[in-house]
Amino acid sequence: MKIIITGAGDVGYHLAKMLSSELQDIYLIDEDESRLNYVQSHIDIFPILGDAKSFDVLSEAKVEVCDLLIAVTSSEETNLLVSIMAKKYGAKKTIARVSTLENLSPSRQKMFVDLGVDTIISPDVLAAEEIERLIKKSAFTDNIEFEGGKLTVFGIAIGDKSELKDKTVGESSYLNPNLSFKPIALHRNDGTIIVNGDTEILENDIVYFISTPESIDKITEFCGQKCFEIKNVMILGGNRVGEITARLFQDNYNVVIVDGDKKKCERLASNLSNTLILNIDGRDVETMKEEGLGDMDALISVTQNSETNIISSLVAKNHGVRKTIARVENIDYIRLSQNIGVDTLINKKIIAASNIFKHIRKGHVDAIANLHGVDAEIIEFTVKPNSKVTRKRIKELKFPKTANISGVIRGEESLIPFGNFQLQEGDKAVVFSLTESINQIERYFQ
Amino acid sequence: MSNKKLINYGVIGYVIGSLLLINGFLMALPLGFSIYHEDGMTSSFLISSGITLFVGLCLRFFLRKFKEAEIKRREGFLIVTVSWVSMTLFGTLPYVISESIPNFSNAFFETMSGFSTTGASILNNIEEMPHSILFWRSMTQWIGGMGIIVLTIAVLPLLGIGGMELFVNEAPGPTKDKIHPRIKETAKRLWIIYLFLTLSEMIVLMFCGMSFFDAINHALTTTSTGGFSTKQTSIAHFNSPLIEAVIVIFMFIAGTNFTLIYFGFKGKINKLWRNDEFKWYLFAVIGFILLLTPAVYFDITNTTNTTNSFSLLESFRYVSFQVVSIITTTGYASGIFTDWGVFATFIFFLLLFTGASAGSTSGGMKIVRIVILIKNGFLEFKRRIHPNAIVPVHLNGKAIGNKIIYNLLAFVFLYLLMFVTGSIIMAALPGVDLLTAISAVATSLGNVGPGISTVDPSQSFEHLPDTGKWVLSFLMLFGRLELFTVAVLFSPYFWRVN
Repeated sequence: MKIIITGAGDVGYHLAKMLSSELQDIYLIDEDESRLNYVQSHIDIFPILGDAKSFDVLSEAKVEVCDLLIAVTSSEETNLLVSIMAKKYGAKKTIARVSTLENLSPSRQKMFVDLGVDTIISPDVLAAEEIERLIKKSAFTDNIEFEGGKLTVFGIAIGDKSELKDKTVGESSYLNPNLSFKPIALHRNDGTIIVNGDTEILENDIVYFISTPESIDKITEFCGQKCFEIKNVMILGGNRVGEITARLFQDNYNVVIVDGDKKKCERLASNLSNTLILNIDGRDVETMKEEGLGDMDALISVTQNSETNIISSLVAKNHGVRKTIARVENIDYIRLSQNIGVDTLINKKIIAASNIFKHIRKGHVDAIANLHGVDAEIIEFTVKPNSKVTRKRIKELKFPKTANISGVIRGEESLIPFGNFQLQEGDKAVVFSLTESINQIERYFQ
Repeated sequence: MSNKKLINYGVIGYVIGSLLLINGFLMALPLGFSIYHEDGMTSSFLISSGITLFVGLCLRFFLRKFKEAEIKRREGFLIVTVSWVSMTLFGTLPYVISESIPNFSNAFFETMSGFSTTGASILNNIEEMPHSILFWRSMTQWIGGMGIIVLTIAVLPLLGIGGMELFVNEAPGPTKDKIHPRIKETAKRLWIIYLFLTLSEMIVLMFCGMSFFDAINHALTTTSTGGFSTKQTSIAHFNSPLIEAVIVIFMFIAGTNFTLIYFGFKGKINKLWRNDEFKWYLFAVIGFILLLTPAVYFDITNTTNTTNSFSLLESFRYVSFQVVSIITTTGYASGIFTDWGVFATFIFFLLLFTGASAGSTSGGMKIVRIVILIKNGFLEFKRRIHPNAIVPVHLNGKAIGNKIIYNLLAFVFLYLLMFVTGSIIMAALPGVDLLTAISAVATSLGNVGPGISTVDPSQSFEHLPDTGKWVLSFLMLFGRLELFTVAVLFSPYFWRVN
């Protein structure tokens, strides 16, 4: 498959990394030469220097024979224009990232499809939806549901009273008599460890479990955590993510939005009827306290500034806010902020990249999600007849060590597979894989 | 991060293991000639190939956990240099084991001259050598021409991302273009073009009356711009204008950027004409032929003491062969150009430095570098007149960044520095005259082959002192890997964190 990506920013880079495999020819267009050089030395792609809006550049990338064009530059207009141009030139499918167009009605969506933009991705909306999921499961740092909740992958921090603490996974297997869950990976200091029987779990590790719905509460308990109900939510940052989140929340929670910009606040106030809008600087701790920071159950920091979000989350934790979610756009900060106690993070770019990947691999992949701070993806495959995975038991498969088959949905039943398990045609398998091994894994399922 | 080690030696060993495997397989190819001609070399090749394969397999087996390790910049440089040295060491095995070249210094020189596509030889009795040894000698050039790492990327399923790092360090030229988004496919296409050129030349040469053995050997060493011949007197032995014409054409093609040849094959001929380097390459070849033909003609007719005198047509024939041979850094000889007068000799000496196109199998500085620097030099006048003007150098219709210009200046300076340093060392050695010293250094650094004085096309490098052979071998490696790849290893920055 021939894919053109325009924009070598974080989304473009992350996508290219996920897609670069022996099956894909990737052309990456960007105007920044040094960025292109950087990407080229890390990923096997064909770099093209130039403005994607130019016909010359597009034809250099042989847009007329490309299967897919993904427009993820920082400019919405460029993305739409490039998609339309590419489609007219002969690209089979186009995906554009947008920032202001959201919740398009089907007829408006059709208008874009007619113009040549097949799929529109709005990272702001995706981020808001992710925040909603995380607030609902307040004890978790990540929460991804597969097949309408038949299997859930979630991250949870190990508390000091946890039964799992200071034991290897093998030693605590007695907690899991029905084999209804398993830990798949954990995050400690600045590294990700793929869990096996000998892995020891320590306090403050963030452990990623896969579980059937019945066992989720049990695991939460083992880990020394409790899901608590959230009533009062404060959103820091009145930008689009904040606004969309508030709109999703305002009917079920008491929502406060804090922003230092008067104009923004006025606009928000006219858009959101059921939300309290405060025009104060979120970094001003005293005023925040006066406005009831300590009474909040959750603080969602989504300002443009990753540093502000991280610090605000720490301050809020200090004042007794139990759940904090910080938007961290600087990918390098993610691991660091997890280490200093900001457990729940969202990153618009990674969310967008995973979502686009799902669109691209439609048919091959049923769902894909990313865990924060972990350079890995969780992918759901439908097992095809006669594919490699159906031929042997899991432990005989020689599956790459950088990946594991975490869960299986067979018909209505959700199963947690161990070494002796053998997959069958039609199963849905949830696979945890480091990003670089995705294409290797795909081959097992085809 | 957790891994504080600056260089991951495991992954280097693993990749080198893979290269040795391929090297071992290729080393088994001369067995065919050995068995057919019954030259008694069968066991030598079996042992050499066996040892190489065994070491390769061992490295790959014991270091298999590094298979997926990332190849970073430092590892990239080390892998390329170390693999070239190690494959040269293993490449000497057939010579040493069969005792066809018993002296190790000689064997190393011959192998390095092979892999680096230089073509300077220490053999004084080429025709008496067993067929299989001669074939291996030509094979080394063919392998070195396109580069063993490019071959490894093409055939082995490794080096996905790190491959680019290695490719950049091995392939010649200041900018590296991919012809396909995937490095593996790029490498495959390059080798397919290379193989195709070699086979077509072989067939054409056989039509022109060469034996199969001569044809395949000359095809291998032409397309790699190597210059080893199966004859002591090189191409002059055949004394056939037809064969010379065929070889001239193939040398010229081999000196063209393979990316352009690829587009040529795909029917995009206009890409050739729009490429500045190709135009300069073509004009340079034609220009030097037109310059030297009358010069040689008049010089030889005016010199009374030469026994052979050329007609104007003969001058053209010999000059055009020799100009293409030297500029593409092949180094075949159809005559002894050092007898053609001081002027011609000096021009040929200068041509030892130029080389042909970037991205070809030729050595030297590469025409594109010289073109850019000449243009930059001219534009400097404009910059003097208009101090505030932005005056970039254009190549192929695009402006070239200052970074590349600085890089080129550093390259050319380092090249000349290496030439001077090498010449000083060579001149200091006993029994080496000045012309021999500087021409041997220039020809080794440029991967050409023949030099002047006691290393002219009619003589071998055998009489040089062993120290000299090692110095020249080193320069060949330096030149083949375009200086920086090897040179960075000698810089302190490579070995410390900052």
